[in-house]
Amino acid sequence: MAKSVIPIGPYHPLQEEPEFFTLTVDGETVVDIDIQIGYNHRGIEKLSERKTFDQSTFVIERICGICSTNHPFAYTRAVEDIIQVEVPERAKYIRTIIAEGERIHSHLLWLGLAGHFLGYNTVYMWVWKLREEILDVMEILSGNRNSYAMFKPGGVRRDINAEDIPLVIKKIDSIIPTLTRLKKAIIDDPVLHARLKGIGILTKQEAIDYCALGPTSRASGVARDVRKDAPYGAYDRVEWDMIVTENGDVFDKVVVRILEMYESIKIVKTCLQNLPDGEIDLNIKDIPPGEGIGAAEAPRGETFHYVRSDGTNRPARHKVRAPTFMNLPTCKTTVIGETVSDATIILAGVDPCYCCTERMAVRSIKGKKLYNGQDLIRLSQEKTETIKKKMGIK
Amino acid sequence: MKLPKIRELIEAIKALIVGPYTSKFPFKPHEPYPSFRGQPVYNPDKCVGCLACEEVCPADAIGHEDITDSLNPKRKIIHYTDTCIFCGCCEAACIADNEGIKLSNEFDLAFFDRKTAEESIEKDLQLCEICGAVIACKDHLKWIAEKIGELTYSNPTLYQSRLKSLGIIDENITSVLKDHGRSDRVKILCARCRRETTLTTV
Ligand code: SF4
Ligand code: SF4
Repeated sequence: MAKSVIPIGPYHPLQEEPEFFTLTVDGETVVDIDIQIGYNHRGIEKLSERKTFDQSTFVIERICGICSTNHPFAYTRAVEDIIQVEVPERAKYIRTIIAEGERIHSHLLWLGLAGHFLGYNTVYMWVWKLREEILDVMEILSGNRNSYAMFKPGGVRRDINAEDIPLVIKKIDSIIPTLTRLKKAIIDDPVLHARLKGIGILTKQEAIDYCALGPTSRASGVARDVRKDAPYGAYDRVEWDMIVTENGDVFDKVVVRILEMYESIKIVKTCLQNLPDGEIDLNIKDIPPGEGIGAAEAPRGETFHYVRSDGTNRPARHKVRAPTFMNLPTCKTTVIGETVSDATIILAGVDPCYCCTERMAVRSIKGKKLYNGQDLIRLSQEKTETIKKKMGIK
Repeated sequence: MKLPKIRELIEAIKALIVGPYTSKFPFKPHEPYPSFRGQPVYNPDKCVGCLACEEVCPADAIGHEDITDSLNPKRKIIHYTDTCIFCGCCEAACIADNEGIKLSNEFDLAFFDRKTAEESIEKDLQLCEICGAVIACKDHLKWIAEKIGELTYSNPTLYQSRLKSLGIIDENITSVLKDHGRSDRVKILCARCRRETTLTTV
């Protein structure tokens, strides 16, 4: 059968970094995949150099709409690294609470979308309803459902009111039973097993070779997490476990993310209960010339920021590396050899946004359009249906 | 096999009883949490017109316009809803005890015409009595005078503003002498004119 080239993109905003996939298929099987990034350049680093250190936080927050806190987290850590200061204890706890709340809602969002791609629209709606509780918690704590505007070099902008804490804890607790039901529903669903196990395997060695980060690496047995490796915020002050699984397939990526949410819930609750008193901000006035680096474990992996100061009130250079930059190339090993109908969920396994899949396009080698993103999702959903039929499940 | 189905059924029944998470907005008003960050609103009585908020705003959502050609010079401070990101930096930086501008709970800010997406307040402006350049808002000069106490009396711009605001000297008093010299020193002056009157004594 003739080989066909399937372009997925050209705009494929897999969160922070839009990219363009070209799938070369032989019949149903993917034989090659090519990735190009660099679309939708927003000039964020340059913009950040135009703003003051304080104002830059807000630009940085808008790198990603979903992990909008981990970029400022890494950035403020980089700035604090220049000055060589430690933020007050209370600020550390508040930062951790916000970052973990974000992880919960980000993983829930991903889980819902994964369900949608597989044709489990019930899971999709169910999970997104659950996510609303967390978004409400974030609104109570920070004043907004997303883009929390909490971080600033030297501390946080807003304190957490003691009277809000009981309500927040109640809301967070309220998602646990549903989450557990969901976990069981996913983990012992035979269709999902058939559909996701052994699909898009990233072996441990490959994960190390590709420098995969976050859940992508942890699902392959590589215990890599900035929160444990180089603790920041209050991560070394609370008890929590790093979730590592061994198989590296899409199923394990789902499992890692689900179990991580429990850890995040634990971290948020412990931090809220043990919130120390004191200042929340150092009121930094001057930033001396120098260089600083900062890292934070975003829901998708390590976010890394480099900031150079020349002694003025604006960064002289600001460099951002988002986790997807490291995770994306892993699809070179995970997608090749699999079928087109699995490509969607494998690419989604590194955690992309909805819009990317929306814009997928499939073309034969002569340039005749065959499928678009909707069709690819349909293909994926049909495969689930076929499996269900084979197993005799309606 | 039956188990997952039963579980899903429980959730479905629960969803039927509990109903959707979303509210009935716009048919029923939505009450945001008190900590919600919504539209920033100026308080013209508290604001002194210092423009610190404009300076810190990361989104350039605050601008100003000095109207100096009338008898009654004014500073118009404009907040653009369409660019605002509701970050609260303006409130945090406000010199008037964070009360000149405050984030409200207002979230229903949709508009059809972008030009209408702005709110403004006006503050009386103090001009230099010699050259007519903008010095600061009258309230701002008063604010400085109150902050620095008796040190005010080392600076005629400040104490004249203060005395005027207290009604001790006439609001409209201006010296008839225009010699750009010694007698001009006791006037409300911009920095440039103050330097000139001090240096060029006849
Ligand atoms: S809330 Fe933020 S963006 Fe809006 S006017 Fe104030 S400082 Fe500017
Ligand atoms: S007093 Fe406050 S609100 Fe008024 S201009 Fe100054 S900073 Fe802005």
